[in-house]
Amino acid sequence: MASRAVGLVEKIAAVMLGLVTLLIFVSAIGRYLFARPVPDAFDLSRLTLAVAVMWGFASVAYRGSHIKVDLLAHGLPPRVRKWLDIAAWLALLVFTGAMTWKIGGRLISQWPRGELTMDLRLPHWPFLAAILVGLIMALAMTVGRLWRILRHGEGLEAHESYDGQDEGAGHG
Amino acid sequence: QEVTLRLSHWLPPQHAVPQTGMTEWTQSITEASSGEIQFEIFPAQQLGAAPDHYDMTRDGIVDIGYVNPGYTAGRFPIYELTGLPFLSSTGPAAGKAIHEWYQGDYAEAEMGDVYFCLVNPHEPGRFHGNMPIRVPADVSGLNVRPAHSTMARFINSLGGSSVQVPAPEAREAIARGTADAVTIPYEAMKVFNLAEVTKFHNDMPLYLSSQVMLFNQGSYDRLSDSQKQIIDDHCTPEWSQRFSEGWAIYDEGVRQEMIDSPDHEVFMPSDDELALWREAAEATVVGALEAVDAAGYDSEVVFNGLKDALAANDSAY
Amino acid sequence: MAEADLVALSGFAALFVLMLIRVPIGVAMGLVGVGGFGLIAGWAPALNLLATSPLRTVTDFNLTLIPFFILMGVLATRSGMSRELFRAASAVTGSMKGGLGMATIGACAGFAAICGSSVATAATMTNIAYPEMKRAGYGDDVATGIIAAGGTLGILIPPSVVLAIYGYITEQDIGALFIAGIVPGLLAVIMYLVTVRLWYGRHLPKGSAFSWREALAAMRDVWAIALLFVAVIVSIYLGVVTATEAAAVGAVLTGLIGFVRRRLDMRSLMESLVEALRTSVAVYTILIGAIIFGYFLAVTQVPQKLTQTLVDLGLGAYGTLGFILALFVVMGCFLDAMAMIILMVPIVYPVIIALGFDPIWFGVIVVMTVELGMITPPVGMNVFVIKSIARQVGLVQIFKGVLPFVVTDVLRLVLLVAFPAIVLFLPQTMG
Ligand code: NA
Ligand code: NA
Repeated sequence: MASRAVGLVEKIAAVMLGLVTLLIFVSAIGRYLFARPVPDAFDLSRLTLAVAVMWGFASVAYRGSHIKVDLLAHGLPPRVRKWLDIAAWLALLVFTGAMTWKIGGRLISQWPRGELTMDLRLPHWPFLAAILVGLIMALAMTVGRLWRILRHGEGLEAHESYDGQDEGAGHG
Repeated sequence: QEVTLRLSHWLPPQHAVPQTGMTEWTQSITEASSGEIQFEIFPAQQLGAAPDHYDMTRDGIVDIGYVNPGYTAGRFPIYELTGLPFLSSTGPAAGKAIHEWYQGDYAEAEMGDVYFCLVNPHEPGRFHGNMPIRVPADVSGLNVRPAHSTMARFINSLGGSSVQVPAPEAREAIARGTADAVTIPYEAMKVFNLAEVTKFHNDMPLYLSSQVMLFNQGSYDRLSDSQKQIIDDHCTPEWSQRFSEGWAIYDEGVRQEMIDSPDHEVFMPSDDELALWREAAEATVVGALEAVDAAGYDSEVVFNGLKDALAANDSAY
Repeated sequence: MAEADLVALSGFAALFVLMLIRVPIGVAMGLVGVGGFGLIAGWAPALNLLATSPLRTVTDFNLTLIPFFILMGVLATRSGMSRELFRAASAVTGSMKGGLGMATIGACAGFAAICGSSVATAATMTNIAYPEMKRAGYGDDVATGIIAAGGTLGILIPPSVVLAIYGYITEQDIGALFIAGIVPGLLAVIMYLVTVRLWYGRHLPKGSAFSWREALAAMRDVWAIALLFVAVIVSIYLGVVTATEAAAVGAVLTGLIGFVRRRLDMRSLMESLVEALRTSVAVYTILIGAIIFGYFLAVTQVPQKLTQTLVDLGLGAYGTLGFILALFVVMGCFLDAMAMIILMVPIVYPVIIALGFDPIWFGVIVVMTVELGMITPPVGMNVFVIKSIARQVGLVQIFKGVLPFVVTDVLRLVLLVAFPAIVLFLPQTMG
């Protein structure tokens, strides 16, 4: 159940990433061939990508696939490791909680007026709201992971990875 | 009691503003307080991104923030009027005028959660391109890096496209053909090495971009009465003008260099051409005024107030 | 020691403790950053950093090229391009002693030209080249060592995520940085090839020779990679597109080519997008945390004082540079490459500029230095990734196999410091 919810959230975010890539592609072609970039390609792509990242943040919190230092953990007996994992994900919970609280406040102060996009002058706040939804999901999923560590002893090894190469495949 | 205030800005430390106006202003405060008020200056976005400086100041991340309200389109619709085309042809006096106009009700309405201190416009920005821009029709079909959202709207209304790149990357954007022109003050020819790629300059003073210096309200409230008095004395329309003079002198120097340089063409539109430009700017003015109306103010009163203040300070276009 | 210095020092200590218990690196930096900022400037402002700073980071247009390049690498892997590269490279070097090892380096180089990540390059090559080398009778240490070193080409040869982040932090032109990375990257390839041949070659078996027909077929398959490299790097060089546009164009083209060649379908496209998203999120989390930690350090003014201290030491330009690079190597033994760039570059960059070094050149140098950390013990990301795929191989074996490449890495670093023109002449010819 939880896994399927995470999968859905992740897919929606992944589609957003794909659309943003396409938007910049089209805008680059438009600019180069017709001297006509897509209006607001700049603001729309960065704001949409922000939403995708924050929704992805929720799924990564559930899967445990944040970049972390495994050096010590791998050398410890499973029982000790379990409690370290709980401590680590509690830290993530605190961090996410504080971010949700502060960004929620930012949304309230921006709504319904506030910053606009450069060309089309669309309001920023719907994006901010979607980011907040992502953070709230991240909170729920961090709790979900904590529950699974506590109840089922499932640690912080990345789940459902492809060929074991997705853990931190981007850094470096 | 002694107090150290954290002042944050986003310019490089060797830029004309931190070198002239900001130094003069902070030193004057320290002297007036016999050393009681000191400053810790954080340049170059060390404590936060340029567009975040208003929030950083309001939230107390810094005590004093040097803010460009134009970086956050739509957030300060009244203040955004100061970025409209053809309002003023000189920075320092316009700074004094804008200060007189904005302080009080407008500042209270839009920036009420901070202590409003100074206005610091640069010398008017102009078109600089890799091809001549003489009349409004020349902008049609061009990719232009605008200074702020008001300029973006102006360029769009002329049939050009706005290209968003950070100012330090404007040179590369033009060198590579991503952009054809920029709206920016002359100083950028030096500060961002734009002179290498933009050989054509339209000398008509197009628009202002007016930064503000703001205090966190709590940081101000914590000062003693005598210290508050010193700060109040340094947050006046007169100081807005004085603060801006160093920047203006630097900018005028670069302008003269461009005029003297055989590699550069500095074009001044005739009166007829100027009339075309001003007519072309009408749509942008209307759009900006509508935003002020939408925010619940009488835009005509607000805008006339700004124009009157500029006229009273001999700084109207 | 001033109070602020003490807070900064405690901050670093707390950071290492949190990281050791597997708190995500970005979260550890963010928490310590907020805590430290709170001690210096008050809690309410510190907590407000958690709204301003993460929002600014995730909405920053200048970072969008990172997910695009990650997506491009994932799509290239999915559509089997790394396997083709390996086949083509084997066709060239197959008949030589150590030919498979050299082919691995060559394939890594080719893959690096379209993939921005070391770890991804090492991972994909472990899947493809390691079984082949095993079958040919290579020792585990040699086989994995070659892949670990070859993987580092992922960030040396453009496009490079780490180089892009360096450009972001220092406000340098990312396009120029990429172009600057080309010649040093090629130099790395040549030196790695020579290392395989001279150090290991005598003991390694010959590969099987290809027939001309096979060789031609293998070479023909790599057109897609050549096309992508041109579309991305050459168009950056010519100034046709910005680095961000190039990244998006590269990702879309990689997907299109995959579809045309029937290597991708909607399902694998979706999986690729998900994988790229997860990796991007992991990177963004580090960025968010590191930037908050950076504000904390800035407000303690420790970096500013450190700059002054370094300049006052009077080690001279090259002495100071050597000191800084040594610091990077030592820290690289414990820290992740990207985290280190984000954490340390803002601190040392002003010194480097004050000493008169070129910022583009330093970008390439510093990326090479942190890359060294990816293959040296005890924390070497490439080594870990290889270990996670080739599970039966011991860490010590991999580190042993990689040793000769560490030696050539240091040699190359010395060369580039002695002759900065190797780095700088190409970007200087750009428009
Ligand atoms: Na690469
Ligand atoms: Na290492």
